[in-house]
Amino acid sequence: MDQIYIPKNRSGFRVGNYVVIKPIETQKNIEKPYFYSIKNLEPIKTRIVDEIFKTINKTVEKYNNIIITGSFLDEGFNFNDIDILLITEDKISTNKLRETIKELTGAETHIILLNNQTLIAGLATDPLYQTMLSKCISKKRLIYNIKRRIDYKILDLHLLKSKTLIDNFDILDGAEKYYLARNMVAIFLYIQHKKISKEIIDHELVKLFHLQSINEIKKNMLDKNLFLKEYKIVYDETFNLIMKSIKHGSK
Amino acid sequence: MDQNRSKLIDLFIGNISNAILHRILENAIDNKDIANKYIKESKNSWDIAKRYREKINPVSTYLPDKDMNYIKQKITNKVRAELLIRISKGYENIDLNLVEESIDKALREIKIIK
Repeated sequence: MDQIYIPKNRSGFRVGNYVVIKPIETQKNIEKPYFYSIKNLEPIKTRIVDEIFKTINKTVEKYNNIIITGSFLDEGFNFNDIDILLITEDKISTNKLRETIKELTGAETHIILLNNQTLIAGLATDPLYQTMLSKCISKKRLIYNIKRRIDYKILDLHLLKSKTLIDNFDILDGAEKYYLARNMVAIFLYIQHKKISKEIIDHELVKLFHLQSINEIKKNMLDKNLFLKEYKIVYDETFNLIMKSIKHGSK
Repeated sequence: MDQNRSKLIDLFIGNISNAILHRILENAIDNKDIANKYIKESKNSWDIAKRYREKINPVSTYLPDKDMNYIKQKITNKVRAELLIRISKGYENIDLNLVEESIDKALREIKIIK
């Protein structure tokens, strides 16, 4: 027979009282996410991140990691949605997951499903992946030591997107101009084997286009002629560097 | 063509040429998974081209033959020129045979030709 011992001198219940027996809860290990290049994050954003991790953990059976990135991690609340990289080998319906997260947090999300192999290949060849992971919150520790490989086809395809800015300067807003210029500068640095991160790219944008601050692009306050003149120069130079890389044994 | 319409057509040509070029280059790529995963632009060339098309009369039906031929010729020249630059630099796996069918497909999608 199992026995339970209680102190003889006790207050609260006498002999013959009915009691409830339940185990003392074991303390759960609180998993702390990993912050990369994030100095400060507003408490409400931390709660949202926590909620996203919990929701995915409950909804998705098998996954390798969850990574949150993008403008959501910048200071303030000037973001449209939250970029979530879900690293998994399984096929998952992101629509349902997106809706659940929206219900719980009120935030729109952009969920990108990637398997480990694609992530590793992306990190080796694509500046966008490197920029994404240069500032992020990850559920599990990121351990990627990947050698950069120049794939001229991928770089050329990405650079082509930035051409849109040249023909459509007047109809693009500040956020769109920033996205396209940042994309181009990321490739420009990448092809020269320079380190890239969101901060480095912003710094380079300011330097290349002689801006007072990065907000000049973001808030759409650029001098069209001056900006486009420089932009075309950088675009052409980047394109030429990509084309040159073909002869230097790029894939 | 009045000046405004002519400018809209030129802007349309620039953007749709870019979109078609993008499609052809996508075909030349070895690992499509990597390139396609993180596509999140608020506006890309295709979307912008569609917006310009919506401003070019007639909006709800196909364009007159004269415009159709002019647009198709201009796009063909632009796309081919871009591809030939790449081929001359050693870019591999570009299929020039895709140019015409890609242009026709795009122009049909956007109601420029039947």
